[in-house]
Amino acid sequence: MKNKIVSYLALLVLIGLLLGAAGCRASLRMATTTSLYDTGLWGYLEPMFEKKYNVALDILSLGSGAAFEYGQRGDVDVLTIHDKPNEEKFVADGYGIQRVPFAYNYFLIVGPATDPAGIKGLSPEDAFKKLMTTGKGTFVSRGDNSGTQSKEKAIWQAAGFDYEVVRKAGAWYIESGQGMGQTLQMASQKLAYTLTDMGTYLSYKSKSKLELVPVVDKGDILLNVYSVIAVNPQKVTTAKNLDMANNLISFLTSPEIQKLIGNYGVKEYGLQLFVPCAGAEPK
Amino acid sequence: MPLIETVELCQKYDGRDILRNINLKVERGEVLALIGPTGAGKTTLLRLLDLLEMPSSGKIYFEGRDATQSKKVGFQMRKRMAFVIQKPIVFNASIYDNIACGLRWRGAEKSSLRQKVSTILEMIDLSAHQHRNARTLSGGEAQRVAIARAIVIEPEVLLLDEPTANLDPLSAAKIEELITSIIHQYGTTIVMATHDMSQGQRLANRIGVLINGEILQTGDPREVFTLPMSREVAEFVSTDNIIDGIIVSGEGGMVSVDIGGSKIIEAISGYPVGEEVSVCVRPENITLTLSKTTSSARNSFLGQITGVVSMGPLSRIEMDCGFRLVALVTRRSAEELALEKGKQVYATFKATAVHILRRN
Amino acid sequence: MSEIWQGLVKAIELIVTLDPEVMGIAGRSLAISVTATLFAGVICLPLGSLIHFNRFIGKRTLINLIQTFYSIPTVVVGLFVFLLFSRAGPLGGLNLLFTPTVMIIGQAMLITPVLLGLTISALSGVDKAIPETARSLGASDFQAVVVVLREARFAVIAAILLAFGRAISEVGLALMVGGNIRGFTRVFTTAISLETSKGDIELAIALGIILILIALIINIVLNRLQQR
Repeated sequence: MKNKIVSYLALLVLIGLLLGAAGCRASLRMATTTSLYDTGLWGYLEPMFEKKYNVALDILSLGSGAAFEYGQRGDVDVLTIHDKPNEEKFVADGYGIQRVPFAYNYFLIVGPATDPAGIKGLSPEDAFKKLMTTGKGTFVSRGDNSGTQSKEKAIWQAAGFDYEVVRKAGAWYIESGQGMGQTLQMASQKLAYTLTDMGTYLSYKSKSKLELVPVVDKGDILLNVYSVIAVNPQKVTTAKNLDMANNLISFLTSPEIQKLIGNYGVKEYGLQLFVPCAGAEPK
Repeated sequence: MPLIETVELCQKYDGRDILRNINLKVERGEVLALIGPTGAGKTTLLRLLDLLEMPSSGKIYFEGRDATQSKKVGFQMRKRMAFVIQKPIVFNASIYDNIACGLRWRGAEKSSLRQKVSTILEMIDLSAHQHRNARTLSGGEAQRVAIARAIVIEPEVLLLDEPTANLDPLSAAKIEELITSIIHQYGTTIVMATHDMSQGQRLANRIGVLINGEILQTGDPREVFTLPMSREVAEFVSTDNIIDGIIVSGEGGMVSVDIGGSKIIEAISGYPVGEEVSVCVRPENITLTLSKTTSSARNSFLGQITGVVSMGPLSRIEMDCGFRLVALVTRRSAEELALEKGKQVYATFKATAVHILRRN
Repeated sequence: MSEIWQGLVKAIELIVTLDPEVMGIAGRSLAISVTATLFAGVICLPLGSLIHFNRFIGKRTLINLIQTFYSIPTVVVGLFVFLLFSRAGPLGGLNLLFTPTVMIIGQAMLITPVLLGLTISALSGVDKAIPETARSLGASDFQAVVVVLREARFAVIAAILLAFGRAISEVGLALMVGGNIRGFTRVFTTAISLETSKGDIELAIALGIILILIALIINIVLNRLQQR
């Protein structure tokens, strides 16, 4: 009987050790935004980085809100996102060391070809004004604290509206609470407008039948900058990988990789998905 | 020294007394049958003897050692006994594995295990089916397996709780055969509970009568059967004719008992005149005739038949002789005498066939 | 609906070509869920036996509580485990978040109520005379418990299968505590979720079909074992 108890406990301890062993792997944890991840850029860059620095790059694809949260908790070591206002706050609060832009592209407003609200060709701010005042057409928002949502809020503000008022404006404003891909699908099903990044739109359009076309694609406010931020171990004491995080920053801003980023997607989609900007703020 | 001895053993469940002051001795090698009606406490007593439960009070000695002192001691002693419950219960495994399990739990060596199990399988006549799943067996076969399972570990004491109660007569007979062979072959001490008086008589060499949680009488089967010591025992052993009366005269060992209605029954007893007694006569000791006989039997009464019940090869005749009397005759006799309801017959029995019980 | 047919074709393609990423996902999903089930089993079978065979105050309440947790939402367990193992959390020092290990722990926690409750149910279905008979034949308390477990083996195996099914088919916890890291913590369910959100329906369906196939094979194998 005693033997049985001893071997039983030994089994538990063994399992425990096996499980615990997993915690000792050399890795750099990066939170990236879903729209960036879904373009497949990371699938391309990850093996290169891993080979060069001999480390496992663990990529978590999250909404920007979650990315900042995980950064603050120290569950990730570095962020690559596209949410300028919140990024600046993250650094200002001491959670991040420095915001290093590495590429950019543009958001665009897509919608049904029939354009029920008649916003084609307008500036983004005017387009939003028209949506708000006429109440024609439907708009699907991300509603999930993402970088895209952040940009959407910025446009509403620039158009002169309080975002909270917009949310309750009527049945024409819908919050999907989901990722960009699913939001595009919802907009397509409802023949509605939505704000999207170029990468996700192009890749979705090629894979599934989206009933959406670009409606508004010009405007400084649509600038979408991707930056990389290392989590600050001084403030987030549980973050342990500053050196490797800095390696990632160097990697992303190195001329060789910058060139690769610039060429990504050109073959499949016929246009640049990302414009490299090596650490400098564009425009 | 008796193998098992209980001293003032009592058991209570939920405040109810199940067993009261049981003082029982079990001698090594004997076959003791505990007989009594359902609910008398036979199962409880067996469970206590098997040390499966602790008594509310009292002691149990196994070979002179106190078996109730601790669970550990109890467990050690329990290993020397085996218990077969009333319901035929088998494990969901092959017949072989069922029988072997007790030996396996005791760490028996493989080849001796195989030999013992094979021998037992022969004994219960199931060798050919040893690999069949025991759950596919009939009640009788399962009970044979259960008993085999208990015997194969060669216990010093075998406790059987109403082993044939749930079985048809044919299976029951087979089980009794098996028990008899066990007695002959192994000489195991057996304590068996049964409500069947005649089974106790057939198989046991001593009987204990347990009624209402108390042992009212122990003795050899003949004794208990013909000389019950109390009314309850008498009723249980189917004396059938228990008539109350008073001794009105007595001389030289012979007494006359006045049973009312100026009827006197002559019997052999040492009780004094004036003693209030019950007269017990076994139905099979009563002879029925159509006319008054001139036999040496002292007691003869005229009565009218109130009922005839045939019981296989026997017939049970109920009569009113001024008092109720039941006789058991062969069916043949009943037919020859053309016994039927309403007929007048003489019921005769010897003084020696009368058993006197004190009434109190 | 043509996507389903396309998905089927893609599934066959992935299987036949032994696509390395899919093989990796398959191996990982199985390893994690099987380990979690084993872990939970090693705890729940003895614990269930202990609870069943002993009388104590609050036993009825405890069993009710266990049964209440049968349908706890996986995301709730996921959130709890996440907060526990996050570097900012109490067990953060173990560095286990976003690893297969924490997924095993999380899944084990998730299926424990089901496995525990069903083990107790299975044991309750065994006639009380069985352990008593075993004890009367000289079995120790431990050996008697083993006998009852063996008598209840069909029901117990069914419970294990159910627990495994719940572990391998849940997505909320795996996503939250695993992070769906490619090549490291990506399993079937999280991969399907990702591909669906990326719009690659065909691949999502293919993965779903492969997952069902694996579950089917496991079921068949375990059923064969049961019959013996």
